[in-house]
Amino acid sequence: MQTITLVPKEQFKISVEAETITPDNFAGKSADEIGALVAYEGNAPRPLSELFDIKVDGSADAADDVKIEINGNVNRVKRIGEAMTAGLIMINGDVDMRCGAKMKGGTITIKGDADSWVGQEMSGGEINVQGDANYYVGAGYRGESCGMRGGKITVFGNANDFVGEHMCGGEIIIKGNAGIMPGVSNKGGKIVIDGDTDMPGSEMTKGTIIVKGTVKDLVPVYQREGIEAVDGVEFTKYIGDVVVDGVGELFVK
Amino acid sequence: MIIKDVLCPFCGCLCDDLAVEVENNKVVDVKHACKIGASKIMGHDRIKAPMMRDDKNGEFREVSYDEAINESAKILANSKRPLLYGWASGLCEMMAKGILLNEEVGGIIDNTASVCHGPSVLGVHEKGIPTGTLGQFANRADLVVFWGCNPVQAHPRHMSRYSVFTKGFFANKGRKSRKVVVFDVRKTDTAEMADEYVQVNPGEDYLVLSALRAIVADKADVVPDSVGGVPKEKLVELGEAMKAAKFGIVYFGMGLTQSRGKYKNIDNAISLITELNAHGKHSIIPMRGHYNVGGFGQVCAWETGYAGAVDMSRGTPYYNPGETCSNDLLMREEIDAAFVIAADAGAHFPAQSIARMGKVPVIQIDPFHNPTTEMANIVIPTKVSGVELEGTAYRMDCVSLRMRKLVDVDFPSDEEVLDKIIAKVREIKGASS
Amino acid sequence: MSEMLIKNATVYDPINNINGDKMDIAVKDGKIVDSVTGSAQTIDAGGRLVYPGGVDAHTHIAGSKVNVGRIMRPDDSRLNNKPRTKVTRPRTGYTVPNVYSMGYGYAEMGYTTAFEAAVPILKARHTHEELEKIPIIDKGGLTLFGSNWMVMDAIREDDLDRLAAYVAWGLLSSRGWGVKIVNPGGGEAWGFGKNVSGLDDPVPNFEVTPRQIIRQLAEANEKLNLPHSIHLHCNNLGKPGNYETTLATFDVCKDIKSKRDRQSLHVTHVQFNAWGGNHWGDFESKAEPIADYLNKNDFLTIDMGQLVFGSATTMTADGPVQYANARLLKARWSNGDVELEDASGVTPLEYHPQSYIHGIMWAIGLELALLTKDPWQVLMTTDHPNGGPYVNYPMVMTMLMSKKRREKEIAKIAEKTFERTSIAGIDKELDWYDIAIKTRATHAKVLGIVEHGKGHLGVGADADIAIYDIKPDETDATTEYDKVEAAFRYAAYTIKGGEIVVKDGEITATPTGKTFWVKSTAPADGYDRMMEDLKMKFKNYYSVSMANYMVQDEYVEHPYVVETGYQ
Repeated sequence: MQTITLVPKEQFKISVEAETITPDNFAGKSADEIGALVAYEGNAPRPLSELFDIKVDGSADAADDVKIEINGNVNRVKRIGEAMTAGLIMINGDVDMRCGAKMKGGTITIKGDADSWVGQEMSGGEINVQGDANYYVGAGYRGESCGMRGGKITVFGNANDFVGEHMCGGEIIIKGNAGIMPGVSNKGGKIVIDGDTDMPGSEMTKGTIIVKGTVKDLVPVYQREGIEAVDGVEFTKYIGDVVVDGVGELFVK
Repeated sequence: MIIKDVLCPFCGCLCDDLAVEVENNKVVDVKHACKIGASKIMGHDRIKAPMMRDDKNGEFREVSYDEAINESAKILANSKRPLLYGWASGLCEMMAKGILLNEEVGGIIDNTASVCHGPSVLGVHEKGIPTGTLGQFANRADLVVFWGCNPVQAHPRHMSRYSVFTKGFFANKGRKSRKVVVFDVRKTDTAEMADEYVQVNPGEDYLVLSALRAIVADKADVVPDSVGGVPKEKLVELGEAMKAAKFGIVYFGMGLTQSRGKYKNIDNAISLITELNAHGKHSIIPMRGHYNVGGFGQVCAWETGYAGAVDMSRGTPYYNPGETCSNDLLMREEIDAAFVIAADAGAHFPAQSIARMGKVPVIQIDPFHNPTTEMANIVIPTKVSGVELEGTAYRMDCVSLRMRKLVDVDFPSDEEVLDKIIAKVREIKGASS
Repeated sequence: MSEMLIKNATVYDPINNINGDKMDIAVKDGKIVDSVTGSAQTIDAGGRLVYPGGVDAHTHIAGSKVNVGRIMRPDDSRLNNKPRTKVTRPRTGYTVPNVYSMGYGYAEMGYTTAFEAAVPILKARHTHEELEKIPIIDKGGLTLFGSNWMVMDAIREDDLDRLAAYVAWGLLSSRGWGVKIVNPGGGEAWGFGKNVSGLDDPVPNFEVTPRQIIRQLAEANEKLNLPHSIHLHCNNLGKPGNYETTLATFDVCKDIKSKRDRQSLHVTHVQFNAWGGNHWGDFESKAEPIADYLNKNDFLTIDMGQLVFGSATTMTADGPVQYANARLLKARWSNGDVELEDASGVTPLEYHPQSYIHGIMWAIGLELALLTKDPWQVLMTTDHPNGGPYVNYPMVMTMLMSKKRREKEIAKIAEKTFERTSIAGIDKELDWYDIAIKTRATHAKVLGIVEHGKGHLGVGADADIAIYDIKPDETDATTEYDKVEAAFRYAAYTIKGGEIVVKDGEITATPTGKTFWVKSTAPADGYDRMMEDLKMKFKNYYSVSMANYMVQDEYVEHPYVVETGYQ
């Protein structure tokens, strides 16, 4: 087991792009080698050693035996855990955009809030956001037909608009409320919202959305199917979006 | 001397039938233009010379072009997150130079679309856009819809030249050939002259569009009795009218792009129009504001692959509105220098963004004093494009036309200033690398 | 005076009947010459393959359609990104590259000339803005006439001189090189969401047929003695069973005579028009009857429009076919009607080898090239980016050269494909000379630019030269296809106008190429009648003033103007 601890040396204002921070990149490396990896503060390339205090305990041959712990606020550090395949990242604070983008495996836990596009286009692994998540949880890049394809994202707080846009697979659980249009243009996967939301499931062709709180407006493109129980709780089940001949299932309290 | 077929540097209509009288190198009269267009061409008090100040609350002092340009280059070259914003009231030639400057300084280049029709482009990423040139709509449209826009005020000659009153080959009776419908939250001047006004509850356009899509798809049974404040009966009637049209055109504005749902409204409207093409011919087009805001999208797309909001900090273009637009970055206080050209950030940005601009060096390139000048440290006056300088602009329907030069002045063009800044930036960066 | 000598080259220059000769090539001031002085810069080709610079007679590289593709596809622009270098600008995009990547990509493959195949006159200014920005290569544009009101009105009134005068004026206005016809009449019908169904289906409201449009434009083309023949995208493209329309369309021009040494009809991306069956269920290849026709008639040429599996962005002036595609595939759809002139549509899609429809389309392109006996009659294209992006040309070249390479591809393709095509049974393999014909010589000949120094290495030609890192004597292209593809993909040298622009696959210089266009005279009385009609149309129906319509000289900064006269 290799544990790498990163402590930011300052509160970054200009966002730092640090797609180098992954268990795959860190596995088997010394503190010096990790420190030599480069991140970008705006247009300025900076070695991680300039940005973080880096401590390495133990060693590992592969990513699945790596744990990265980030102690401090990285709400201006983007792309942490990008495309990671295994291992663990623990962020003891907030994190900036695109955390866990294209993730394939492993686990990211964020003790604070996650900014937009957490788990963008992820295909495997698990992300836990203990605070709130901003826009586009598990969504895709602009113009892509698939957002999240697999894996699981849990947001323990609230999420902003467009949760799981273009989702093709996987699972998103929002324990709090979600902003407008969760599951818009979905082609698969499952979204569970414990709290309230608005206009879910527009243009969903396949997939499942369960809203346990209140739906402010239901988009007028769903066929009411009747009452159905999910895990012992009764919901009104809708099928749609009928305009796109969708067979998505929308469960509303 | 009367110069004919002059193009108007005001709105996205880019009217090209103006007649301008010039005497002794001065514009003395403008014919055929709307009032705003005429006043743009007639001109007003302009910035006379380059100016600088260290303290934004202090007085400007006049400086030479060289000094202002060198200082601008220094600021940009030493910045980690410079924003190059504006571009909408300039010509395509200078936009291409701006994109090159952005490459040199590793900054973000963004235009005014990010505060008006930016969401339209996001809708286009989702669905594409069925559209055409304005003459196509003038010749053919028998159903004209204005959604969240008010051309009577914002595009004064639009209805007479392109959309409503003009006679076309097929629509040969002009106004009488067309049914005009306005969707809006309030009864605008445009709504007053429409055949039908549909009042939509604020922020509920998306729902109304979805209901229309369901009706057009013969799935009216899922539509509730009232959607977005519009009775189902009325929606069914409108849906049927759309299906029956031989050629329908939807002009949309910021009422749709900047209300709840934003680009998803556009996405939904585009989908409705796409689906209607199974019945008749239908098109949709954004009512662009600045005369060449469309041009920036075109130039930026062919230069970088993206229509705007391009972040060059990593050496290749990266684009992600929500992350790379001017206000995304200003609100987060990321920007450490701002270069504002051919647009007025001071007048149109939210307060939080303005506050950030108040804290960082601001360079303004513009012929005219405006609220951005109040925040600027360096001001460099240039020629007025389309009046003092010829070059390319794109009409709202993406038809490119060549703006004319009407009078000669001694000011440098935007392009010349940009060229010099680029040269200086290269010198500074070359020396440091 | 810059001089260059390429020594020990194995040269294939079909225009000059040079077939693998070992020779030196001398270059002076950008042109091929007999000899140079001893102080010339020397490149030792070391027996490697040397071709004239590649020429692409049909591609979509510039203008509003291409930009629509870029704007709607950030998902494409995020691909193939490369940062700037000391000589290059940043590159983005795969099917719709940015202007810089567009030029670099061609040059990397040893291509030095490419013609944009669809330019609406009203939007020609935009096309030229982009063409000027595409680095390195020489360019030209083909102007759309097939649904134009001026054209159809002149044809209906049987006024050939007026038609010819308008074609001349339209080429001048658009700074165009030739007459492009897309789904004749269909663009106008699409103005109200309709289409024309075949050669004799009259265009609504205009009372002319596609047959008349093709025939009369071909006659006008020859009256004007244009360097290129009419360049035709047939009716019914994209519909099963369309090969019958295609064959009938060929016949329309059978007796058109040209004074020039070239075809009198070029039919483009015939892969999309050689379809049998009545619907998608019984969809099949009809490449054979098309190839038979070509084998019996020498008045026409075609290009392949080869399909490449993977991502494509389809873009065409054929508006209705794009709507049909987009609905069928639930894909994004952009449409761009151009008042009084034409239509256009852009739809991104993915070609899947496991879809037998795509498999059959893949096979048809190759069948057309391999079953037609005369290599000069079938140009290699992918109708970039409709069949797939041009960066795949090297792969297509190996498919033509190697049955084994085809078999490797066939293994990936849905089996049902091979009941509906003959591709699996075709043994033919093209050689180095044939490939030189199909990728440069016949493109230049078909376009009519051989005499302007393109597509060959004769004395006086432009010094556009590709040196590939492969020795034809020592390479068996039928088995070593990977090596051949790699060599064609990144040239050892690309020389453009005597300047080394690519070395070892890397861009080393980015000069700006020239733009070909044709200035043609027309008979005075026809011109007067045409002008009267034109002024009326501007006054009543165009949304721009006539004075602001024509492309100004400022937009073609490096023109190469060819003048022709009315015959």
